[in-house]
Amino acid sequence: MDVTGGQPPSVANAFAAQMACGEAFALGQLTLCLEETGLAVIAGPGTGDDQVLATPDALRERVRHDERGRYRPLSGAKSMPGGWFARVAPNGLPDALEALYPLALVHIAAAECGELRIVPLDQVLERQAGRYRAAAQLDADGRDVASEVLCRGCVRVPVWRGVPAAAVLSIPCPEPCSVLVSLCREAALWQQSLPAPTAASPDIAFAAFETPGNEVREAYLAARQ
Amino acid sequence: MTSETPGTRRGLLLVGHGSHLNADSSAPVYEHARRLRSGGEWADVRTGFWKEEPQLSRALDGCRASDVTVVPVFISAGYFTNEVIPREMRLHSGLNFIDGKVVRYSGPIGQHRALARVIVQRAMEAGAQPGDALAVLGHGTPRNPDSERNVYQQAAFVRELAAFAEVTTIFLDQEPNMRGVFDLVEAETVVVVPLFVADGWHVGETIPEDLALEGVETRRGGRRLRYARAVGTHPAVADVIAELANEAGAWT
Repeated sequence: MDVTGGQPPSVANAFAAQMACGEAFALGQLTLCLEETGLAVIAGPGTGDDQVLATPDALRERVRHDERGRYRPLSGAKSMPGGWFARVAPNGLPDALEALYPLALVHIAAAECGELRIVPLDQVLERQAGRYRAAAQLDADGRDVASEVLCRGCVRVPVWRGVPAAAVLSIPCPEPCSVLVSLCREAALWQQSLPAPTAASPDIAFAAFETPGNEVREAYLAARQ
Repeated sequence: MTSETPGTRRGLLLVGHGSHLNADSSAPVYEHARRLRSGGEWADVRTGFWKEEPQLSRALDGCRASDVTVVPVFISAGYFTNEVIPREMRLHSGLNFIDGKVVRYSGPIGQHRALARVIVQRAMEAGAQPGDALAVLGHGTPRNPDSERNVYQQAAFVRELAAFAEVTTIFLDQEPNMRGVFDLVEAETVVVVPLFVADGWHVGETIPEDLALEGVETRRGGRRLRYARAVGTHPAVADVIAELANEAGAWT
């Protein structure tokens, strides 16, 4: 059973072996298992009976907002809404997982082969221009804090920080994302005068770092006090 | 042209802006990708975004085809298509060879002549008649002179189609400003077609507010203004993308 869309055999084997044994296993916040019908079941966190159409578009849409209705620009954010599942033909699993965790299988496979191209934060910030040129002005401590507060809320393992991938099916993150670049830009602007902390509010948009009360912003500011 | 040999057909990668704050911003890109995928012409149709995932710098990681055409779903040939996308994706215009793949970097949808037909369709959906004036509305910005070029070019293409009595060009953020649209044309009815990728914040909120629109049709001083939907959300944009990609496929 090829459930990885032509990725290297070790990844396919890991998926197939676990699923063939009837064992559920986790990928990020997802749980996957194989039914007696031969269909794979992908389930979000928790339990629930909301069956989602097994198309990439429907799956992507189902996890696009968290349970408070906030938009999730970061697929790996540990805020995936729960209470849903989808039954997927095994050959549709790669596309389904791609919709939920873009590039996860590709990067798992590349890491296994030792071929994952890793790009560190310094390099990503140095190449920015325009609105994000300011991000490169963030000092080393600020870069560490920004990475820590954002990445600890993400299921992807930031191998670009030198953090080793813990297990074969953990999802490696080979390069800082645009959300982190955006946070670094704001943090660089705060270096002149650190804003006063405000109570964090889960109602403020996840990536609205300019807004006092944004959870990531407040975590950053608290760490830098 | 695409080869029919399995495993060697070309892949397509649509790249868009996306947003950290607006979940709907990328919807047209996903929709065009879905449409192109269902057509079955391409071995693989994927998406990549500046501010969503897969991010631009890694979008090629997911492309299985050995020959991939990157089509920017942008209107302007400017900052994003000339600087951000090439820098993040390690591309230059034309043919590239990256990680063992042939990567063809095409121009944005906004520069292709075929988009003019979509502009006309949007105008007709809004009720435009041959005697009306059509105003192509672009974003524009005084900060980047490249931003306006494709808007003027598309207006010229529309003019060549001779579907309407007058065709003019207006902008959200530069002159000639959209607020003066009635001064720019003589027709009793002017149909404003937003040359934007998405029905987002500007098309859905700021433009209707700035023009004090009263719905699909607004009457003012005995004249009428009709407001169309964004060009970029039209299903026929997928055909424009395919045309761009097929032209890129001829590059050697």
